Amino acid sequence: MLVSVVKKLVRSVGVLLVVSFATFVLMYGNGPGIARGVLGTRASEADVRAEVVRLGLDKPLLVQYGDWLKGVVTGNLGDSFFTGQSVTSALSSRVPVTLTLIVLSLLLTAVASVLLGVAAAVRGGWIDRVVQFLSVLGAAVPAFIIAIGLVFAFAVSVRLLPATGYVSPDQSVSGWLKSVTLPVIALLIGSIANAAAQFRGAVLDTLSQDFVRTLRARGIPESRVVFRHVLRNAAGPGLTALSLQTLGLIGGAVIIEQVFALPGLGDLSNTSAQKGDVPLVMGCVLVTIVVVLVVNLLGDLVTAAVNPKARTR
Amino acid sequence: MRRTTRPAATAVTMTTALAALVALSGCTDASSTSGNAGGKGTLTLGMTQDIQGWDPVNQPSYQGWGAAAVYESPFRCDALGKPQPAAAKTWTFKSDNTGVTMHLRPGMKFSDGTPVNSAAVKEAVKYAATHGASTARFVGMQVSTPDDLTAVISTKPNPLLTARLCDLKLASPKYLASGNRNKAPVGSGPYTLDASATTGGSVYTFVKNDTYWDAKSFPYKKLVLKVITSETATINALKTGQIDGSLITQATYSQAKSSGLKIQTQPSEVARLLLTDHLGKKIPALGNVDVRRAMNMVFDKDAMAKNLFRGLATPTPQIFRPGSAAYVKDLKDPYPYDVEAAKALMKKAGYANGFSIEIPYLQGQNLDALMPVVEQQLGLLNIKVKQVTLSGPNAISELLSGKYPIPMWVLGNYGESRLDIADYILPDGIWNVMHQTDPTVAGLWKKVLTDNPQQSAKDQQAINRYVVDQAWFVPMVSTGTIYAYNSKLKVRKSTDPSGLHPLLWDFQ
Repeated sequence: MLVSVVKKLVRSVGVLLVVSFATFVLMYGNGPGIARGVLGTRASEADVRAEVVRLGLDKPLLVQYGDWLKGVVTGNLGDSFFTGQSVTSALSSRVPVTLTLIVLSLLLTAVASVLLGVAAAVRGGWIDRVVQFLSVLGAAVPAFIIAIGLVFAFAVSVRLLPATGYVSPDQSVSGWLKSVTLPVIALLIGSIANAAAQFRGAVLDTLSQDFVRTLRARGIPESRVVFRHVLRNAAGPGLTALSLQTLGLIGGAVIIEQVFALPGLGDLSNTSAQKGDVPLVMGCVLVTIVVVLVVNLLGDLVTAAVNPKARTR
Repeated sequence: MRRTTRPAATAVTMTTALAALVALSGCTDASSTSGNAGGKGTLTLGMTQDIQGWDPVNQPSYQGWGAAAVYESPFRCDALGKPQPAAAKTWTFKSDNTGVTMHLRPGMKFSDGTPVNSAAVKEAVKYAATHGASTARFVGMQVSTPDDLTAVISTKPNPLLTARLCDLKLASPKYLASGNRNKAPVGSGPYTLDASATTGGSVYTFVKNDTYWDAKSFPYKKLVLKVITSETATINALKTGQIDGSLITQATYSQAKSSGLKIQTQPSEVARLLLTDHLGKKIPALGNVDVRRAMNMVFDKDAMAKNLFRGLATPTPQIFRPGSAAYVKDLKDPYPYDVEAAKALMKKAGYANGFSIEIPYLQGQNLDALMPVVEQQLGLLNIKVKQVTLSGPNAISELLSGKYPIPMWVLGNYGESRLDIADYILPDGIWNVMHQTDPTVAGLWKKVLTDNPQQSAKDQQAINRYVVDQAWFVPMVSTGTIYAYNSKLKVRKSTDPSGLHPLLWDFQ
């Protein structure tokens, strides 16, 4: 068990290096363009050239990447080319916002999709049809449109929740909950749709197996059959779907953060990538990779814990 | 298969309960979500783009409320670019535009305690001449300091001296020398930045400096600038009172009006093509004035104002702002909409079969509706327009590089029309991308350099008439920015010489 976790960790570091290097390559080579972006359209050629050197953009690709890696290991992610703010401080104020959205959405998605999937599979009938219909709808309608609808309904027409902005929990817990409610619901709907369908399918499959008939024949209450035995066997595909959901959530968060003016990572990645603010982009990519890897690792661990058959040595 | 109701019912109940819990968490204390911006002495403004650091030479005038809050300049320029007292209490300009003697207000201090004196002015000019993107504007400015509160500026004849001094931001010399300019500002403005309530890229909080000499012009104790890049989020924040004011576009104009917000529009831009290759170096056809005139005659300006710009624009044959010195009042449009006459001109010039041009396009600049119209109308003259999309950090420098002799843009104009001439008509103007010289313009501008105001207006209008006659541009409509704000707010008509939006001291 420990060996497989360590192997996964090593593989994760490998993924991190590959993806960060690929990002660096994509952003490389645009030194003068970035320098001119920093200095403005009226800068002279000489000023632009000096800025390129000052930002270290004239060094070869591997040297620049190596410098960045060195910085990562020592905890220094550099400073923004444009505002001079340290990347660490820019990230530290924004990561909690995006993490709140993603973690809350993941947790609520997990709970809701398990319950809905099980209800649909076990009860069948109208519940099943409604869940299937809502799954298709939720997957088809973009989170963006759902978000706009939610804002209109709950923030503008009825002043129940704030239309924009993020309140950090150390300022006010109730304010924090209010500010993330609508964004999280917008993200939820798409991801529940997906995961609920997965759980429903897996549970249906498992319910038709022989051991379930045997358990029932032994007189074990149906709720225990479902929640203790069936779910453990059906968890695999659903949990995989949930970890894959994280990618979708991170992408969805970019748009949701814009619509709700939340100062999160998605917004930062978007604007810094467009401007060519390499240190910030690399910082965002780093955090994103780490989040994805952690979630996937957790997903694997939970699957292994829940279902002994899924454990690998 | 046997169906039992218990697990199903439990599942449904739990999901409903969860949903209710989430919704209920929003039900407490609804009153605090309704707008409390604007009450208790706080002014909350939305910004559609972020503040790019605090270096005093890198502060844009567009949405520059943050810089206006923390920095002060020697003068404030009014709507027509005339100097008003700021750090300088009184002054005397030399009549030939070669300098000014400024007497500074006594007792002013920067936020780090150092005094605002003539040495600080000298440092500020020196810094501006050697840092940032506009060094060319300050190079050659000499500053002498006969005493602590007197600064004498001398330059070569420069009619834009006032504008430059309105732009120059005074910062503590210690701060300028420290190399840490982007982290936090050290100025002498009406507010200071509250770093504890500021998150870069999201919200900037400023607290009033009570010892500021003009404290009464800034009635708000606290200023909050919120960065909201999405227009949807902006209009929602305005409607729900989360912000007191923000720039919007024609897209949300009717929404803003119907939700009871007040609107201020500034006629500050002219949508136009810039035919910078009037010597025909890259595109020989453009060297012929008949071709350029023909291009002016295929645009139905009235229809464009009404339909493309939803009535929020007026047709105009000139690029200058009404009220500015170069503006010719009641100038009759020498190029009325007449496609047949345009075709005849093209035939006369020998270009009945037209020619090809490339027009650069950038997203997010309000060019989306304009481009198809330009392509279509120029197509009537057999001028084939190829749209070249520019994007990314290089876009602006490519646009201005001269690679594309015919940029198309909704360009701003100034209350100080000499700035327009400098940017769009002079050979070194950044928008005169081919940088071609012209003896008539050069001769007139030489006079403007040392003209007194009356004569200057005459000569500037002569330049205006010349470029209209020579069809250096294809002006279409005069439009502007739209500022929407909370109806409870008192906002003066903008005094911005760039005509972009209300300035910090316009919010009363």
